[in-house]
Amino acid sequence: MAPTGKRTRMWSEFTLPDAWAGGAQEAAGAGISDPAMENEAFAGFYERSARPLWAYLARVSADPALADDLMQESYVRYLCAEGAPTLSTDGEAAARRYLFRIATNLLRDYWRRPRAASLEEIPEEFFAACDHAGQTESQILLEPALKQMKPRERQMLWLAHAEGYSHREIAQVMGLNVASIRLLLFRARRKIAALLRACAADGRRS
Amino acid sequence: MNFASCPYEKEVRQLIERGQWPAACLPELRAHVRGCRVCGDLVLVSEAFQHARMESVAAARPVAPAVLLWRAQLRRRNAAMERVARPLLGAQIFACAVALFAAVGFAGFEARSGVESLTWSYWHDWFVHLPQAAAAQWGSLSSGSPAGAAWGWMVLVPAVTMLVLLGGVAVYVATDKQ
Repeated sequence: MAPTGKRTRMWSEFTLPDAWAGGAQEAAGAGISDPAMENEAFAGFYERSARPLWAYLARVSADPALADDLMQESYVRYLCAEGAPTLSTDGEAAARRYLFRIATNLLRDYWRRPRAASLEEIPEEFFAACDHAGQTESQILLEPALKQMKPRERQMLWLAHAEGYSHREIAQVMGLNVASIRLLLFRARRKIAALLRACAADGRRS
Repeated sequence: MNFASCPYEKEVRQLIERGQWPAACLPELRAHVRGCRVCGDLVLVSEAFQHARMESVAAARPVAPAVLLWRAQLRRRNAAMERVARPLLGAQIFACAVALFAAVGFAGFEARSGVESLTWSYWHDWFVHLPQAAAAQWGSLSSGSPAGAAWGWMVLVPAVTMLVLLGGVAVYVATDKQ
């Protein structure tokens, strides 16, 4: 996707000289009419999309601190990306999907990175010993079930059932084909439903 | 695991998305969901995720958008600076290569004078007499004598190369890397 011509950025570069603006002035072309308005457009988009994005990252990674970092990184990458969809030309839905795609890739990169201890290496007793006081019902039921799902399944389930994305949109965000999403989502849904029922049954017994 | 679908799945999904489940649906559909595994799973999972989303959205504490705009601007500026610095590095590598080539050429030219050119005293004398020799040869160079011109070029080329190299370094240092 060539950024020249039609592409218009939604943030201003007015504080930097042209030479240091990273080519964004050329990329913007004649599209920037009012930089302050472009900044306002971004602020509005951020206001509407930041919380759902954080929720996605926090629930899928089960790490709120990591979600903070990845959310900021997602927006910075979105703002720096040359071929990113813009609010003015592509619409907010496309921009939001692109943002979720960046976040999904960042999560994938994070999981691929070698760490001192992965989730699988932490003994089950650790989770069992965790104090559930102060946790909400959905945290008590959904979190243990999500922890037993594969990262890709968690992402897919969240996008489908929390964000309400269609199979095609999930395929775009996750970089998979639509037919695979349909099948994988069906399996993941059946698996987590069984886990949720089991968790609920355990809760009733104890 | 067999992939099964239900004709009511789409309808149930739409009701959940619109927030109309279960209040605004027909009792027949509610009865169907109770008996259908596909629709039952859909309702159970969607409700759990919607609830979790609501809680997480309320718990989110996003930073001010200005911070992100500033960070993005900084990153673009750094990328632009790297792009600017890349040709400078190329120029410096080129200048080094030219200087090395000239030095090797000069050493080869001097080595033709025989075995004595490989001794330390030969090079010591050469450096000691360099200013006088250069002055004399510069005269020959300007007068147009062929032998003098050859030697003069051997001095001129490294000197110019050195200037190019230092020029590149000066420009690099002048650019604010920070």
